[in-house]
Amino acid sequence: MDIFIQQILNGLSIASVITLIAIGVTLIFGLTGIINFAHGEFLMIGGIVTWLAVSAGLGFPIAVVLAILAVGLMGYILERGLFRFTLERPTNGFIVSLGLIVVLQHVVVLFWNPNQKSIPRPLTTVWEVGGVRIASVRVMVILITIAVVALSFRMITASRYGRALRASVEDRDTAALMGIPVRRYITGVFVLGSALAGLGGALLIALFPITPFTGGTMVMKGFAVALIGGLGNIYGAVAAGLILGIVEGFSAGYGFSQWTDAYSFVLMILVLIVRPHGLFGGTSGPRMAS
Amino acid sequence: MKTVLKLAASAALCLGAFAHPAFAEDNIVKIGVVAAESGSFVSAGHTLPAGVGLAVKQINDAGGFKVGGKTYKLEMVKRDDRTDIATAIAATQELVRDVKVQAIFGSETHDFTLAMAKITQPAKIIHFAGNSTLAKILNPDSVKPGGEDHYLFQSEPQEFQRSGSTARGVLSLLEPLLGFKPKKSVMIVGNDATGQFLSSYYYKALKAEGQDVPDIIFYPPDTTDFSPFLTRAKSLNPDIIHFWYNGDSTLTALPQALELGAAKSYFLFGVDPGIWKEKQLSADVPVAMSCVPVCWGESSNPKAKAYFDAYFAAGAPHGVTSSVSLLYHDYVHFLVEAWQKADSFDPDKTVEALLNLHHQGVVSDDLTFNPTHQVTHATEVCAAAPGGAISCAMQQPPAEAPKS
Repeated sequence: MDIFIQQILNGLSIASVITLIAIGVTLIFGLTGIINFAHGEFLMIGGIVTWLAVSAGLGFPIAVVLAILAVGLMGYILERGLFRFTLERPTNGFIVSLGLIVVLQHVVVLFWNPNQKSIPRPLTTVWEVGGVRIASVRVMVILITIAVVALSFRMITASRYGRALRASVEDRDTAALMGIPVRRYITGVFVLGSALAGLGGALLIALFPITPFTGGTMVMKGFAVALIGGLGNIYGAVAAGLILGIVEGFSAGYGFSQWTDAYSFVLMILVLIVRPHGLFGGTSGPRMAS
Repeated sequence: MKTVLKLAASAALCLGAFAHPAFAEDNIVKIGVVAAESGSFVSAGHTLPAGVGLAVKQINDAGGFKVGGKTYKLEMVKRDDRTDIATAIAATQELVRDVKVQAIFGSETHDFTLAMAKITQPAKIIHFAGNSTLAKILNPDSVKPGGEDHYLFQSEPQEFQRSGSTARGVLSLLEPLLGFKPKKSVMIVGNDATGQFLSSYYYKALKAEGQDVPDIIFYPPDTTDFSPFLTRAKSLNPDIIHFWYNGDSTLTALPQALELGAAKSYFLFGVDPGIWKEKQLSADVPVAMSCVPVCWGESSNPKAKAYFDAYFAAGAPHGVTSSVSLLYHDYVHFLVEAWQKADSFDPDKTVEALLNLHHQGVVSDDLTFNPTHQVTHATEVCAAAPGGAISCAMQQPPAEAPKS
C-alpha cells in the first residue's frame, strides 16, 4: 500500500511540473495563436539563470525572481523582435520557433558548455510517513504550482485584463474597434507565458539537473497537456496535467515502463480526434490569428 | 533504421567512385571526428574531439611523425552530429568526400556507427569507434581483406568483457561497504539501442556472479523524473540498484533514489569519481561507479592523473564521463604508430600494421586488436563509502562470455 501511495505522490509531482509548463503553452498558443516550440528553451534559460545566480552566491528565492524577470524580458524582446511579424502567419512563427530552439541551445553551450547544471536542493528535508517518503522540495513545487494556477485563473477569468483578452480571442477586429489594444495584449500574454517558463525552469533545476537540451521533452509534454485540456483553458491544463502525471507515474510503476512517454501522446492523439477542442474546451489556437 | 542504412549504403556507392583517402600534399594528414557535441548524448560525445584533439596536439608538439621519409603533422576536422543519425551520415559523407580524411573517429552511438561504417568502409577509410555494439557486425568474414568492415576497429572491449569485469568489480567493492554479500539487484536502463544492448550483457554478467535480478526497468531516454521507476525498484527490496547508462541520466536519478531510499546501495555506470567530487555529491549508502575505461578523479592507473591533467588543461569540459575520451585518445597514437610501422598511408597496409602492433597507451601498456578488430583491456570500478572516501580497482575481463 505504501508503494501505491508513493506512486500517487510521484504522479502529483510529475503533474505539477508539466502543468506549470502547460499553462505557459496554453496561454501563448491558445490566446495569441503563436506556436512557440522554443518554450522549452525558455524553461531551460530560466534554469540556467537560476544556476548562474545560485553559483554566484545568491539565495534560491532571489534566483527564482531573477529567472522570472530574465525570461520575461527575453520573451518581450523576442515577441517584439520576431513573433509579432508572424502573427498573421502562424506557420511562419512555428518555423521561427524551431530555429530559435537551436539558436538558444547553442548560445548556452557556447557560454556555459553542454554539461549538466545543478544547484544544491533549496529544501532538503524528507518526511517519512508510514513507509511513504515525501521530499519537501517536491511539496514546494506543488504548492507554487497551485498558487500560479490560481493567480493565472483569476487573472484570465475575473480581471479586466482577462476579459479584454478573451474578447480579443473571440473576435480580434471587433475587440480592436472597442478600443482594446490587441497587439499590446498579445505581447503581455507572451511575456507572462515566458515569465512562467522562467519560473518553471527555476523549479525544475531545484528538482533535477538540467542541460541545454532539457527543453525538448518538456515542451512536448506541455503541448500535449495544453491540447488535451483545451487551448487557453487553464482549468483544462491543470486537469490534463494531473491525468498525464498519474498516467505516467502508474505506467512507469506498474506497466511497460519504457512506454511511459508514449502513453501521454497516445492520449493526446485520441483526445484530438474525439474532441478537437480538448477535454474541457478551448480556443482554436492559431486559427484565431488568421 | 533499414531505410537509414540503405540511404547510407547508396551514398557510399556514390562516394566510392571518387573518394580516396586524402594524401597529404602539404604534409598535413586530416583525421575526422563525428560526435554528439550537442543533443542528448553530449556528455559522452564531447569527450571524443577533446581526446582526439589532445592526441593530435601531443603528436604535433613532438614534431609530427615520419612516413616515407617525410614528416607529417595531424589536423583534426570535427563535426557535431547533434545526436541525430541523419546529421552523422551527412557529416561522414562530407569528411570522406570533401575533406578527404585519412581516418574517422566516432561515434559513440550504436546505430550511428553502423550507418557511418556503410560510408567509411567502401571508401577504405580507417574507422575507430569506442562502441562495444560493433560486435554485432565485426566477425571473421566481415573484417577479412575485401570484407565489408575490413577498415573498422572497435576501441572498447567486447561487451561480455566490460560487463563481466564491471559486475565483478561492483559486487566486490560494495560487499565490504555494505557489511554483507549483496544478493538481489535491480537494473534501471535507458530504453534505446545502446541501453538495450548493454543491459542484456550486464544482466547475464550479474546472473553469472550469482545475483537474483527480478526486474530490468527501462526508462524513456530524456527522462528527468525517475521517481516512479525508482519506487517500482524499491518495491522489490533490492540490495543494489544498477543505473546502467547514461551518465547524465544516472546523475539525475541518484538524488531521487536517495530521497526515496530505494535501495541499500547503488551502482552508477559511466560516472567518473572526478565529477562526484567536483559536484560534492554524497550518499548515506555505498555508491559504486565505473569508468570507461579508467577513472578521472581517483584512479588506480598510474598514468591516469597525468592524462586527465593534460586533457583538462587543453580546455576539455569537466564532464560526467570524461574517461570516454580515452577510447579515442590512445587510438590516434596507435594509428600514427601503425602508419609509421607500415611506412605508408595505404589503408590495407595500415590495417595489417594495426593488427600486429602492441601499443603502449594510457589505458594499458599492451593495447592490441584481436583478429576481429576488437581490443581487450581492464575496466576500472570505484566505490564511495558513506562519508565520502573513494577507493578504486582495475577489474580484469572474464575470458569467456557467460553460458546462459
